[in-house]
Amino acid sequence: MFFKRSQPEAGKSRDNARAATAAAPEPTPLAVAELRRTVDPAALGFASTADLEPISGLIGQERALKAIQFGANMRSNDFNVFVLGPPASGKSTAVKQYLTRKAHEEAAPSDWVYVNNFDNPNRPRAIRLPAGRARSLAKAMIAVIDELRSTLPATFEGEDYQARRRSIEEEFRSGQEESFEALNKRAAEQNIAIVRTPTGFVMAPTHEGKIVKPEVFNTLPEGMRKEIETRIEGLQKDLEQILERMPKSDKQRRQRVNDLNTEVATVAVREALDDVQAAFAEEAEVQTYLEEAGKDLVRNVGLFLVQTGEESEIVKQPADTARDPRFRRYMVNVMVGNGEAPDEGAPLYEELNPTFGNVVGRVEHIAQMGALVTDFLLIKPGALHRANGGYLLVDARKLLLSPFAWEALKRTLKAREIRIEQPSEVSGLISTQTLDPEPIPLEIKVVLFGDRELYYMLATYDPDFAGLFKVQADFDESIERSSENDHAYARLIASLVREHNLKPANVAAVARLIEEGARLADDREKLSIQIGHLADIVREADYWASDAGSAEITREAVVRAVEEHTQRADRLRDRSQETIAREIVLVDTEGAQVGQINGLSVLQLGNFSFGRPSRITARVRMGSGRVTDIEREAKLGGPLHSKGVMILWGYLAGTFAQDVPLAMAATLVFEQSYGGVDGDSASSAELYALLSALSEVPISQSFAVTGSVNQNGEVQAIGGVNEKIEGFFDVCKARGLTGGQGVLIPKSNVQHLMLREDVVEAARQGQFSIYAVERVSQGIEILTGVKAGERGPDGEFPAGTVNRLVEDKLRLLAERARVFGMRSSSAGAPANNGDRTS
Amino acid sequence: MIAHVAEAGEGRGRVVLHLTQATPSPVAIAAAVRIAQAFHSEIESLFVEDATLLDIAGLPFAREISLSGRHRRELSPEGVARQMRAAAMTLSRRISELARRADVPLHLTVVRNDPIRALAEACAARGPWNVVALGEPVAALSGEQIALLFSSIPGTTGLVLVGPRAKRAEGRIVAVVEDIGHFDAVLRTARRLHAGDETTKLTLLLVSDSAEEAAIMDEQARLALGEDDTIEILRARIESAEPAMAAEVIRRLSAGFIVGRFGGLLLPPRADLRSLAAVLECPLFLMR
Repeated sequence: MFFKRSQPEAGKSRDNARAATAAAPEPTPLAVAELRRTVDPAALGFASTADLEPISGLIGQERALKAIQFGANMRSNDFNVFVLGPPASGKSTAVKQYLTRKAHEEAAPSDWVYVNNFDNPNRPRAIRLPAGRARSLAKAMIAVIDELRSTLPATFEGEDYQARRRSIEEEFRSGQEESFEALNKRAAEQNIAIVRTPTGFVMAPTHEGKIVKPEVFNTLPEGMRKEIETRIEGLQKDLEQILERMPKSDKQRRQRVNDLNTEVATVAVREALDDVQAAFAEEAEVQTYLEEAGKDLVRNVGLFLVQTGEESEIVKQPADTARDPRFRRYMVNVMVGNGEAPDEGAPLYEELNPTFGNVVGRVEHIAQMGALVTDFLLIKPGALHRANGGYLLVDARKLLLSPFAWEALKRTLKAREIRIEQPSEVSGLISTQTLDPEPIPLEIKVVLFGDRELYYMLATYDPDFAGLFKVQADFDESIERSSENDHAYARLIASLVREHNLKPANVAAVARLIEEGARLADDREKLSIQIGHLADIVREADYWASDAGSAEITREAVVRAVEEHTQRADRLRDRSQETIAREIVLVDTEGAQVGQINGLSVLQLGNFSFGRPSRITARVRMGSGRVTDIEREAKLGGPLHSKGVMILWGYLAGTFAQDVPLAMAATLVFEQSYGGVDGDSASSAELYALLSALSEVPISQSFAVTGSVNQNGEVQAIGGVNEKIEGFFDVCKARGLTGGQGVLIPKSNVQHLMLREDVVEAARQGQFSIYAVERVSQGIEILTGVKAGERGPDGEFPAGTVNRLVEDKLRLLAERARVFGMRSSSAGAPANNGDRTS
Repeated sequence: MIAHVAEAGEGRGRVVLHLTQATPSPVAIAAAVRIAQAFHSEIESLFVEDATLLDIAGLPFAREISLSGRHRRELSPEGVARQMRAAAMTLSRRISELARRADVPLHLTVVRNDPIRALAEACAARGPWNVVALGEPVAALSGEQIALLFSSIPGTTGLVLVGPRAKRAEGRIVAVVEDIGHFDAVLRTARRLHAGDETTKLTLLLVSDSAEEAAIMDEQARLALGEDDTIEILRARIESAEPAMAAEVIRRLSAGFIVGRFGGLLLPPRADLRSLAAVLECPLFLMR
């Protein structure tokens, strides 16, 4: 529900108050020069960025860079580096620049390959090779297989092998046949025929070469029949013996053939492996592997003698050996191939997607006949393999968000070896048959990037973190403002111009960019080194310069870029201003009110923040000495806000009515605030409203106030001072600047002022003022036009001052409370909590 | 012979596929189908129930000794006859399916007789343009056996046989010529088998026992072939009709079908051809 704005006789009440009170001296606003620290282009000493030598690396980050140097040079697995700092601060670029140089100066680390373990294929063997030799080994093994694919079939087709094979076959076949023929001959001599059936042999008597038919046989004398049967029985036994000997004989034949095959294949395989053995003579592990591969090749010589349909029918050329499934077991899986380019140096690898598999590597599977199968060639390297012997860069947040990845990295760093496991194995959820490759020793420097919150969270909650990431490289958000740093900043801008291939920025544009750097730092004594943000502005300015047909980036283009950037993001700010302009949200910018003041808050929306005035009101009455913070009661106030309210109560209690109880109840509220309120920057405004309510001296609504207070009445610095001032300025400007409007800020915030140019211009013309206050007493005088008052020698505040009026009111409330208490107790009324008045 | 039929433009010849209860070679059946397709002839599937085996089974002491020599089994005429009928039915179904797919006419016959006599009678009944394809692989091959087959079956013009290592009936067609006088007949048969195959060249293998003879044959063959580049000519020298040398020549050809004449250097009429049968991976089509 919206409320109609009340129209109290504001000006009149303020005038009345002045008439009855001691007038305060006219306040002095801040000088225009203090509102924004500008840069004199003439003092920069160049015409455009084209005249400047671009700066390499960062400026003002010596501490962080020293930490990186230290971390990179410490040859220890636990001195890994955590680079912390705000996003887009250029920390990643700076680290990469430094480590690229350093890595380039270092020797390339060893190569690593996985090869088949012929004894245990489930545990592929890892072999270390000198840098640049891994791919040579892989190619050499392909060449070996290619050669064997030609030589083995030719050898086994050759006359020599065939003759020896025929000799063996003939020897055994003739042995069998001779036995058969001898039996046949014996049988024929006895007029017995041996006849072959599909499943064996039968014997039958013959007469003149013909089988004796059963009906004829049955007519023979019984003695003859018996004799024939006896003869056949004898021959059958002989036949059985011959047949039973055949498997043994065949086994011997196969053994002889196998021996021959082994002998022939061994010669061919040895010749094929000769070159690669010579090339890797220094590598003992490779020699062992080649020895085993050679034996396996001889055992599986049949693989080379089978012609695939593809070869013989389609292309008439040998298929690619590397892709032929028959020969996979002899291939070499190059996990890491370093040193292939001259002076390549140590690897520097940044993993942009640090999933578990991408970090520690993985074993892939392929579907084959409905089943998932794998082998050592499906082992894929991870970032740790690629960066082994060098440097690995990873974004900490992404790493932590990837399931299992952080734990895997820690485990690997601790163990100092890369062990490839499936995530399911790690978690113990699923037990699938897969590979268990031999681990690869790890020597690496890991550099994590993250913000401070993440760093401190890890340091607090992860007991392993501090032990593994002992070097912290802390990047600052800003650097000190000085003429040297202004110049360095100009060179930084020049480097951005060059890096992004932009138009040169003239000196006025550079000056404006330096000012924007101070504004981004929220501190006119500092310059923001959030390179990403600065680069965005420079690039957008380049766009607007082109749009304006300018050959260089001008000051106007920079201003346009900043304005356009703001405009793209400030839809909600416009809405907020609109609700105030249409008096849906009630904010007075003229007149005076008792117990009412304009506070200022900052709303942060992504990268964009803006200030907004809010009405704060205070009401007082007799009570038991309690200030009710309505925001807190409604659970809209944060702890810092509540703390601020309690502090101002402490101020009241300590400053006034020290000899009487605070028989007062007060309520404080941020009017029309429906979201959360936190921070103590409104505590001074709340105190002013409370003092006004107690003293009944009205506060000028032409002012807005920001700043926190302590119990001694000192006004303390707050954040977002520029946005807050500009927020109130925009409201006033929309309604028309009267000249009497302004903002009270803590004096300690003056150094942070980098106000918009239109605000500065309004101040220059006397249309808007900024007042810096150190104490509450100063603020209340500006707001009310009435002297605050100091206790005199008699311990009393001078009459007509705000403080006197407050104290008088508190004494009055205390007296009333005392009288009320006596009456209540004599009437037997129950004690109340003081929040109720009669 | 069927080649003559084609030459003469006569209607059709016949491939007599000889089957017994022994398991036939798939290559032999495929060869029969391929020849029938090439010559637009029909197949007569002749399943012969061996009468001799039935007689033996009728003997009171008839026992079958298994191939391993470890088991004996009593035989009875009824049991053997039942086995034969089952084998015939199984083979009939299989061959019918193959013939249907190849769009070759098929005639199924089952007879109980002596195997050779059954073949001779079948060929004599519808001759003379028959080619006999032996379903059972021939391991113990000899020149005498082939000669006996040709003499026992006058109604055939060709004989197709496969060895125990037969693997294929597709691929390179090799026409083996040992006498330039037979060049035309052998090549014509091979061309019919090769017709429609654009993936392989037809190979003409000129076999001789002397270099001079080979050179003369080569010259003659090239003259006869003219510009025909679909035929490649190879030469092989086999001295003294040595079967081992012939076997090596056959092995190296890696042929899909070999067409030749019986009784020469490659297949001498009185030689032991077991070494050749041992390396033969494709059908061998022997012309009378």
